[in-house]
Amino acid sequence: MMTRGHVTELLSPYLDEQVAPGERERIEAHLRGCQACRAHLESLRHTVALVRGADPVPAPAGFQAAVRSRLAASAAVPRGGRLPRLRLSWKTAGAAAAVFLIGIFSVSLLRDAQPKAVTVAPEQAMRDATQGYAQDPSAKPAPSAPERAVAPRSAAPGTIATAPSDLMTTRQIIRTAHLQLAVDDFDGAVRALLGIADGVGGFVASSSYTQMGGAPEGVFTLRVPAERFSSTLLQVERLGTVETRRIGGQDVTEEFVDLQARIRNLERHESRLLSFMERATRVSDLLAIEQELARVRGEIERLTGRQRFLANQVDLATVEVAMRQKVAPVGGSFWDLDGALRRMKAAFLTTVRQLIAAVEKIAVVAAALVPVAVVAVLIWLAVRRYRLRAV
Amino acid sequence: MDESTLITRSRAGDLEAYDHLVGAHQDRIYHVAFRITGNREDAWDAAQDAFVRAYQGLRSFRGEAGFGTWLHRIAVNAALDIVRRRPRTVSSDPDPQWAAPDDPADQAVRADVQRRVQSAIAALPPEQRTAVALRDLQGCSYEEIARILQVPLGTVRSRIARGREALRGHLADLAPARTEEDR
Repeated sequence: MMTRGHVTELLSPYLDEQVAPGERERIEAHLRGCQACRAHLESLRHTVALVRGADPVPAPAGFQAAVRSRLAASAAVPRGGRLPRLRLSWKTAGAAAAVFLIGIFSVSLLRDAQPKAVTVAPEQAMRDATQGYAQDPSAKPAPSAPERAVAPRSAAPGTIATAPSDLMTTRQIIRTAHLQLAVDDFDGAVRALLGIADGVGGFVASSSYTQMGGAPEGVFTLRVPAERFSSTLLQVERLGTVETRRIGGQDVTEEFVDLQARIRNLERHESRLLSFMERATRVSDLLAIEQELARVRGEIERLTGRQRFLANQVDLATVEVAMRQKVAPVGGSFWDLDGALRRMKAAFLTTVRQLIAAVEKIAVVAAALVPVAVVAVLIWLAVRRYRLRAV
Repeated sequence: MDESTLITRSRAGDLEAYDHLVGAHQDRIYHVAFRITGNREDAWDAAQDAFVRAYQGLRSFRGEAGFGTWLHRIAVNAALDIVRRRPRTVSSDPDPQWAAPDDPADQAVRADVQRRVQSAIAALPPEQRTAVALRDLQGCSYEEIARILQVPLGTVRSRIARGREALRGHLADLAPARTEEDR
């Protein structure tokens, strides 16, 4: 009785009775009719008998003691999971790569999350300032009563150049102020300060701030029109607690008048020299007059420059503001609940923003890795196929 | 003292109890390690590693399979680790134990058969070698082998079949009658 095909590949499980009953019948039926397969089965049975007849190889002497001493040396109590050794495989390599990438992301995210060194471009700061200013009603530059009351004292410094005859009656005063403030919200105060400078028609001549050891602090030099000096001070002082206030006024009226007189004299001298020159006939005279003219002109320029400098100083008062963040904002109450809530809210929002940023970054990188992953999967499939065939 | 008591005690850090377990299993474990690695030094290392790892991982042994099966799995992995680390040196030492000192002709032939069988096993690819060793030398069931190797039953069947087929080619010239007598 002939059956379909030989059954050589089934003979091994058949020997061990590892085939389904229906299959066994088919194998036995085939064996009855197939001399080749019968011979194959016999030789396979013989091979298995040979292998099974191989002597057991017992553990060498001292094996047990060696295990024991190794365990005693490590003095280990059985651990939880079994993680004997990292085998270098595609899986471990992939895991390592993943860990590496995640590490890089974390580091970059952490760096983003660090408090930034405060660097504000002047124009940007200015724009921010005016916006923040407009939103904050308490800081609005109301032309207050004190301002108007003070204004006449420093009135019309701009008239120097146009009406020199009034000089004698107008005091020329260079105003400077130094304020040291402790503020609750440093960044907000900086914005408000820039807003004040803008609001009174002045500008920030220089600024520097640092954030060493947590509490930020900075020094700002404001130049504001002299007639807005007092109102500026009042506004600035509202930003926080005043720790130091130094106001100075340097009366330069005398120097100013003196300069004015000297310039006038020199100009007269100059016009006289010019008339001499017209009448001069000898070359040596001409040269001497020319030299004198140059000297006089230079002197006039120098004095005019000095005068302009003084006028500028008088026109624009200087307000130096040193600010620092209050370390522990001690309010009137025992515990600053509002502040705590505000900080909690800020911290919460920061974390949410960072999480969103992290997810976004991971998504972007995942997108970038898609082609790589496709190649990796293809390689992996090929390797697996090859391996399966090898077994 | 039965095995489960010894296991419980070992788990608590009792080296004495674990020593008993090692004593009970060392020969079978060493044997399978020897057949997979093909030489005594590697077999020693693999079996040692297996017992140390087993002790350290004893907590994760939950007794679903027998302790012996579990131990076999660790030993097979340890042995295959070593084999994979030095992949292409399929040589097996002639085992001095097989050459009996007082050497009648019969003993000499027997030792020769042993050597032939061992070198034939050593020539198999590691996966087939392992499956055949577990089946025909250790006498494990197909289900046990599937558990030890963590592969499906069908894979066990085909690895054993292919391994035996290769061995048949290597050992075809050995007279069948003699081995029947030997057994």
